[in-house]
Amino acid sequence: MSGEAPLLELENVHSYYGDSHILEGIDLEVREGEVVALMGRNGVGKTTTLRSVLQLTPPREGAIRYRGENLVGLGTNEVAERGIGWIPEDRRMFSQLTVTENVRAAVPDGTAVDEKLAMVFETFPALDERRNALAGALSGGQQQMVAIARGLVGDNDLLLIDEPSEGLAPKIVETVANTLTEIATETTILLVEQNLPLALDIADRFYILDHGTVVDSGATAAVDTDTDRLRRYLSA
Amino acid sequence: MIPLFIDALVEFLSPGVLFDTLVRGLAEAGLYVMIASGLTLVFGLMGVLNFAHGSITMLGAYLGGLVLVTLAGGGSALTGLLGFGVAVVVAFGLLAALGAAVETQLVRRIYDRPPLYQILLTFGVALVLDELARIAVLFYGLQPSTIWQSVLGTKPSLLRGSIDVVGASIDGLELFQILFGVLTVVGVHLFLTRTRYGLFIRAGSEDSEMLSALGVDVRRVFTVVFALGTGIAGAAGVLLAWDPAWGASVPLAAETLLPAFVVVIVGGLGTFRGTVVAALLVGFVDSTMTWWFQNYINFTGLPEMMVFLVLVVMLVVKPQGLYGVSEVGGH
Repeated sequence: MSGEAPLLELENVHSYYGDSHILEGIDLEVREGEVVALMGRNGVGKTTTLRSVLQLTPPREGAIRYRGENLVGLGTNEVAERGIGWIPEDRRMFSQLTVTENVRAAVPDGTAVDEKLAMVFETFPALDERRNALAGALSGGQQQMVAIARGLVGDNDLLLIDEPSEGLAPKIVETVANTLTEIATETTILLVEQNLPLALDIADRFYILDHGTVVDSGATAAVDTDTDRLRRYLSA
Repeated sequence: MIPLFIDALVEFLSPGVLFDTLVRGLAEAGLYVMIASGLTLVFGLMGVLNFAHGSITMLGAYLGGLVLVTLAGGGSALTGLLGFGVAVVVAFGLLAALGAAVETQLVRRIYDRPPLYQILLTFGVALVLDELARIAVLFYGLQPSTIWQSVLGTKPSLLRGSIDVVGASIDGLELFQILFGVLTVVGVHLFLTRTRYGLFIRAGSEDSEMLSALGVDVRRVFTVVFALGTGIAGAAGVLLAWDPAWGASVPLAAETLLPAFVVVIVGGLGTFRGTVVAALLVGFVDSTMTWWFQNYINFTGLPEMMVFLVLVVMLVVKPQGLYGVSEVGGH
């Protein structure tokens, strides 16, 4: 790791759903150009961490700094305007909108929409064929492509990607993995992923969460899928 | 009994009566679309049932009436129609501004509360607006217990007369109402499908949280929709002010709110397409039953009951309405 300030930094973040204390003091850093995997069993706070960064679940305590600016207290759209994109767990399609309209909704004001659409359809030829189809009628893999496309057209410097392989056929997972690897060459990524081989393949570093706190972290190059320190916290 | 019914049915199916009923149904549908569009847009995006919607229509009737009496009193058809255009613009603009103020200053504060709070708040706003209108009407002596007759007098002769088509007598005002209904449907449809805000409204109606995560200021979209909804309701009020069956009066608030709810619920809460189809359905049921009750049953109060019967049947058979989904208002 270099000595420069992190792009994203979470410091002692505590987040709640009602009275349920979900994040119990998370500390985490993502540096520019990195892919950082956030791993752990179901319900340990991975998605809540991403939602806290986006201020969808604003922390009650702690700081979330992006390029040195504390995001806590900003609106979600203001966080997004600063260049943080979100590719959510269940893809969150606007199902009654077409593929093109889903992508258009993510293009920032004052940006050349046609150029962005051309870029998306060049990256995902399968979507080009279905550009006027309702997003709700797409397959899971195609919906994931739309979700990734929305993240790409947003001029984002950091993408928060939540379980991109969830519910997809192995062949599609491979395509998604290749796409993410390509995106990672230009964009910093904080990736939540339960698919251990996929996460270790794409990420430079990892954090493991358990019961709302970080219990382990390190470089992915130093571990493999059989490593006890990973399996202890990831097996069901 | 049966021969009488067959005679009535034969008469009803004659081209003249059928065409007359069709046109009346379309005219009513035009009014219902204008009254209900704003209500459904606001509910679809924001999940807020605006009980002040009828009061906004009532204010539109008075504001529009004021402009019409000032500009179009006793003038030519051109002056009357021009005055109507100005009245629509004024009512739309002022009531859109009022809607924006209500959304930003009042409704916004309780989005995170259960729907009951929004219902109580907008109901309170309706009571305040109705009382303010009642005070103003009393103060200026605008015949508070009945409709404002002076506004009816500004209707150009073109809309007072009727034309004979296949044996049916078609009112000019009915054609005018159909025209405005069509303009509303086309206008709202184009706004929703061809503009960036329209895209945001449709997206936000499904998932406003996701929309905000794409960098869209959803709160501003809420304000625009609320303003648009109240603006259309106000413009509808101007149209109603020329119709002797409605007219500008304080009770117009409740008289328009109820059918608006019927149309919105029958169509499916929050769907504009459903609202258009339901407006046509309710319009035709109303015009058909009006003919039957006026000509063979001789009890003029019952046609309205039939409209509410449509609502009851829909709630029992298909509670989500014609085009409704189980969840709306993603925020």
